[in-house]
Amino acid sequence: MSLVRLTSGTAQGARSPSRRRIAVGTLVLPAVGWTAVFFLAPLILLIAYSFGRIDIITFTVSWGWTTHSYTQIFQSLYLSAIGRSLLLSLGATVACLIAGFPVAYYISLQRGARQLFLLVAIIVPFWTSFLVRTYAMTNLLDYSWLGGGRALDTPFAVGLGIFYTYLPLMILPLYVALERIDPALRESAADLGARPVRRLRRVIIPLAMPGIIAGCILVGVPSTGEYVIPSILGGGKVLMYGNIVADQFQSTGNYPFGSALAVSLMAVLTIVVLVVRRASASREAVA
Amino acid sequence: MTFRLKRPSGLAIVTAIVLVFLFAPIVVVLLNAFNGNRTLDSWGGFTGRWFSEAFRDSSVRSALWVSVRVALASTALSLIIAIPAALWARRAGPRARALLDATTYMRIVLPEIVAAAGLFLLFRRAQLQLGMAAIIAGHVVFTSAYATIVIQARMATLSGSLEEAAADLGAVPWRAFYRVTLPLLRPAIIVAGLLVFTFSMDDVITSAFLSGDTVTLPVLIFGLMRFHVTPEVNAIAAGVTVLTLVTFSLSAALLGWRSGTSLVVGARTEEAE
Repeated sequence: MSLVRLTSGTAQGARSPSRRRIAVGTLVLPAVGWTAVFFLAPLILLIAYSFGRIDIITFTVSWGWTTHSYTQIFQSLYLSAIGRSLLLSLGATVACLIAGFPVAYYISLQRGARQLFLLVAIIVPFWTSFLVRTYAMTNLLDYSWLGGGRALDTPFAVGLGIFYTYLPLMILPLYVALERIDPALRESAADLGARPVRRLRRVIIPLAMPGIIAGCILVGVPSTGEYVIPSILGGGKVLMYGNIVADQFQSTGNYPFGSALAVSLMAVLTIVVLVVRRASASREAVA
Repeated sequence: MTFRLKRPSGLAIVTAIVLVFLFAPIVVVLLNAFNGNRTLDSWGGFTGRWFSEAFRDSSVRSALWVSVRVALASTALSLIIAIPAALWARRAGPRARALLDATTYMRIVLPEIVAAAGLFLLFRRAQLQLGMAAIIAGHVVFTSAYATIVIQARMATLSGSLEEAAADLGAVPWRAFYRVTLPLLRPAIIVAGLLVFTFSMDDVITSAFLSGDTVTLPVLIFGLMRFHVTPEVNAIAAGVTVLTLVTFSLSAALLGWRSGTSLVVGARTEEAE
């Protein structure tokens, strides 16, 4: 390197490369430590508990390798609630995609101050308290000012709540993907005679695929375990997966069953995410 | 040219509808916080009564104070974790880096209820007390992941040539970091800090699982919202909204709206790629 460095650093020069590597390595220790103790260890504990057994009289958990808690999931009264919860988050994700795509596309076509204004308008709700936004939906659903009855405490209310609170999370990644599309591609598709729908289907949507996948994961995965929205908008009548898990820990005290539910959710979501990402990767490889 | 004019206008209408849909419910909450009619089914004149009632409630005040302390501690810890991790990631090999990115991504995407349930078991098993320390530990799991993404995104845009120049001029690594890298990262650190503070102030699930007897403001509001819509709840919600808008405007003003916005947009999307 430079002369200054050579002359100033001769003393430690010989030891410095390996020393430097160790010094750089320590930088990641806080992140690794925190993740290991407060994230990975709890997940491992959940897995261990999920194979344990609970004494229903004394409420003590005994270790063992029984799959009892897992088979219980399929026999439980919760099965329909689990199914509905998956359908609700899937439906809300699709709705977010359908409503979010035109918005993201429109923002990506704007320039300058107008684009900035629109982006801020999407980020402000995202930054606003999740709890307040969920609560804000009660106004829309509670009062019969539209002439109809109240839609609160129904699956529709919960689905609408997910759609409303997660929509900005869909729009932002879609916008980033659409913004990256070279305008020349759009124009050449038009010049070659592609009609708007065809341009959208053959050019815009394939190029926006990474954003579509990112948005669907950001909305679909966390909303499946939703707890706050069904508690407020479902009035304790429309349960989602998160409520069922929370009940096991907070009221029933059946930790193994709660753990089995949590581990199953984690496993299913991991598989879905891996499949989606694998599929999108191979799609890109073909293209 | 004709359809060029036509198509954006269709998109513009959808965008306008979505924006109204996003903002109208929040505006109604803000208005109802000043609504003099206790039953809230019509406008009963302007009043500041609900705010003073909410603020005189000692449980609200103590919950707010708990939340502020939790959020400040989470912010400090998240930055202590995220800044070195981002520095490390720049020099790490691709495989080690991918591992860090994967765990960062997992901490954000995994439904919070799963992580919260696991932490609850951990604290129970280790016979540690639930409460403020537990809540902070839980918050930092995901807030440090957000901070890492924001700071890493900014780090990726720095070339490193300035630090090399500093090293060439004889600056020891610590000095080069303090005088060169840190100032370059400052916008990202500010945004990350404000994002973490806001998310921590807003968290319900982790706080509820790990609270013990310590009640944060969102846990308190959540309890109130579950059972009744009252003018006081609207006032607290309005207060929280104004607070978050202040932190948002603050970060935007400190950074300039354009770069601040792109950092937040980046934070939300890099993680999924």
